[in-house]
Amino acid sequence: MVGSIVLSLALFCAVLAVIMYFLNYRGYQNTLNYARIAYHAMAILVIVAAALLWHAILSHSYEYKYVYDYSSNDLPLGHLLSTFWGGQEGSFMLWLLLSTIIGLILQSYSAKRGDLEPRVMAVFTLALTFLLVMVSPMFKNPFAYIWTEPVFVSAKHINSAFLSLPFLQNFIYSDAQSNQQFIKMNTDLYSALTTSGISVNQFIIDGKGLNPQLLNFWMQIHPPILFTGFSMSTVPFSFAMAAMMKNDYKDWVRQSFPWVLAGVGILGLGIMLGGYWAYEMLGWGGYWAWDPVENSSLIPWLIGIASVHTLLVQRKSQAKGGIGKFAKTNLILCLLTYILVLYATFLTRSGVLGDASVHSFVDPGMLVYLFLVIFIGAFFVLGFGTLIYRWKYLSDKMQEEEGLLSRELALFTAAIVLSASALIVFVGTSAPLISHAVETTFYNEMQLPIVIIIGVLNGLSLLIKWKHSKGQELLKKSVFSISASIIFTVVVAIFGGVTNLMVILMLLSTAFAFFVNLEIAIKIIRGNMKMLGAYVAHIGIAIFILGVIGSAIYSKEMDMDLVKGQPKEAFGYKMTFEGWQAIDNGKKYAFNIHMDKDGKEFHISPVMYIAEYNNSLMREPAIKVGMTKDLYISPVGYDEGNSSGQSVSLSVGQETNIDGVSIKYESFDQPDLAKMTSGGQIKMGTKLVIKKGDKSYTVEPLIEGSMGNFKYVPADVKEANLNIQIKKVDPNTQKADFVISKIVKEKEATQPKEVLSIQASIKPFISLVWIGILIMVLGFFVSVARRLKESLI
Amino acid sequence: MKSKYIFGGVIIVIFLGLMGYLFTQSNIKYENDFAVVMKKDKTVKAAGSWVKAKSYEINKENRTFSFYLEDTQGHVMKVVYDGTIPNNFESAQSVVVTGKYQDGYFHAKEILTKCPSKYEGDNVKASGV
Repeated sequence: MVGSIVLSLALFCAVLAVIMYFLNYRGYQNTLNYARIAYHAMAILVIVAAALLWHAILSHSYEYKYVYDYSSNDLPLGHLLSTFWGGQEGSFMLWLLLSTIIGLILQSYSAKRGDLEPRVMAVFTLALTFLLVMVSPMFKNPFAYIWTEPVFVSAKHINSAFLSLPFLQNFIYSDAQSNQQFIKMNTDLYSALTTSGISVNQFIIDGKGLNPQLLNFWMQIHPPILFTGFSMSTVPFSFAMAAMMKNDYKDWVRQSFPWVLAGVGILGLGIMLGGYWAYEMLGWGGYWAWDPVENSSLIPWLIGIASVHTLLVQRKSQAKGGIGKFAKTNLILCLLTYILVLYATFLTRSGVLGDASVHSFVDPGMLVYLFLVIFIGAFFVLGFGTLIYRWKYLSDKMQEEEGLLSRELALFTAAIVLSASALIVFVGTSAPLISHAVETTFYNEMQLPIVIIIGVLNGLSLLIKWKHSKGQELLKKSVFSISASIIFTVVVAIFGGVTNLMVILMLLSTAFAFFVNLEIAIKIIRGNMKMLGAYVAHIGIAIFILGVIGSAIYSKEMDMDLVKGQPKEAFGYKMTFEGWQAIDNGKKYAFNIHMDKDGKEFHISPVMYIAEYNNSLMREPAIKVGMTKDLYISPVGYDEGNSSGQSVSLSVGQETNIDGVSIKYESFDQPDLAKMTSGGQIKMGTKLVIKKGDKSYTVEPLIEGSMGNFKYVPADVKEANLNIQIKKVDPNTQKADFVISKIVKEKEATQPKEVLSIQASIKPFISLVWIGILIMVLGFFVSVARRLKESLI
Repeated sequence: MKSKYIFGGVIIVIFLGLMGYLFTQSNIKYENDFAVVMKKDKTVKAAGSWVKAKSYEINKENRTFSFYLEDTQGHVMKVVYDGTIPNNFESAQSVVVTGKYQDGYFHAKEILTKCPSKYEGDNVKASGV
């Protein structure tokens, strides 16, 4: 309740701040102080609300639906803290919190730069207002109580002392399939509990927990960094709006430049961490799958990078006086960056991608869907409406062209190519909106030529001068880079066995970009280190692309079955499965594989476990990281040895056919359920009729023993050479899983075989992917330091 | 000045044309009526629910996993997936398979399982207590 009130007050303050800032912009001098007070009050309230949410999570207040849905008692502190952004409500809350803090920095930044503050802050706070509406009690409020909408709470999560209360019996439901009991938590139950003097926090004592795939260090830091990038994309939008409001397009370029650079740097880092998480955790062996959720944050990033290049041209060309070149392009790109962040939010949060993404976000309901549409629509109309209004003025102020061989034109082309790249991802990602989808080949084939052009432009734009450049001079300057990249490409092609022309071109252009930047960077290191940013970032992107070429195109994989104690060889590694052990208090199982490569020995342990959260088998890969390649072991399955045959699942009356032998599940022998619960000896059997040719046999594989100590007794049908064993049987549905194997095969191996199935793969130069991006981000921040100084002039 | 726009225009047309072409080439349609899926000779994405009453099979030698999928109108088809049973298949409420119908069954290249919140839906029935 307190949380909702705090958020509602914050919304009120935000609206007030927008109005006061706007009035100040319209000429009312005395409203500036009120606007600042309102903004700071809002900021304090948002921070208080965030603290309240964290407090609710840490104190296990399961009366809040959000806390019940995404946390549980057994989560360690780090994961409890990241529960904050584990669900939709909380991630909006995180976005709001980070935006608010960035707004505080932006306020003091803009207050020092002339009359900038009211315009920039009015727009920025307007964006915050929309986020505040999103987390308000109307929509995705993280402080919603669990009983406001009926929720089925598992009986496991209820304090057992209250389970026998007479009035509770009306709220108990049971699920026949899983044999679990649920309590329907709704307003009626809430009032019944209150009358009895029981608080909800006493009643519900545990939560559902966090999705096990999110229980990972990278998931703790990926969302905050990504959302910082999202939040910072609001800043260039605000600056562009501020410029159009004043109809002055000179200062905003250098004032917004450090923000744009920092924003794309952080967003890039956030996207990379997401990829790293997928690589480390999900076990499909890659870091990028063109998944809509990944794509949707890539689109604004590409547009942001495009804007960096044209902003640089505008800034440079302002030296001659006037507003500079590409003023309109820059406004469009800066507006688009934020609008595309909103579009990304719409795609991933509105449920439209329901069937298209592994990140299955639950449908948030029509109201939220509509609000998201209004959110994007409002900022689209606001941004582009103002731009159209100023279009004529901007067209009149246009400056004349430069020669074809000018850095201006090269940078503009770079921005166009980056926008084209963004458009490709945009089209592919939006396809589900018209109930289509594209295969990943669409992205790969379209982006390949773009990467080649980017490599060439990346190098070329730094070799040619501003304004005009002579062809001859250019050639002389590029002698080193061109020869070095040709030598590099030839060496790699010969030793790596590269024959694909597109890949060779990609190598060549990337190497060209790398050597040009390296040459300049080395010259600069002796001079002014501050100028280094762009070259460092470009070297980073070149290294990244080389890493992508290596890991995506030359990755090799192999499916293997490792029998315990029997070494098998793959990719030069001798792999021996040595057995498993329980880890994490018996919750997970690590499967130890002994590796031997030319005498160098080590162990690697992929992990598998059944997650209680969603009752599913989870697999975690094991990675041996190397400088030139990673060895990636993804677990597929484990077989205890008594089941080397096929698994078949049947219900009573069904039949299946194996190698011409028909097997019919005739009937089920009920165990004595009373004995089962009291711990006595029980017996469960399944009567099967086997038909081979015109002969039929009846057999009955059994499960016998006492609770927790069952023995599986298989049945042989010698005439059909089959051994049938029960793997699992559900006494309620009478559905049974059988393992059917050949007897003769069994006899060959007297000892049961434990088999670990894995997918082993080699990822050459994948470390360059991470290193490249980190270097690129570093480059961005070196540039931020330089441009921050310039922004004050 | 004029030639610049013509040049730019040509580049844009080529780019959009290429993108449009590749889009239609790699385009996969959602098809939720299995009667249509079974007639089509094209890669589609089909969504349905797993028929738990029918048998499923994990073939270790060929590394395939086969099961039956049912659409909302009750059409059932056999699906054979090249790979192992996906991570959270057993708790999946809906399954999206990508592939082609051929030789009497659906060859799935990709399986996506959707697991909505566990305690929602129709499977929770009143116990009558």
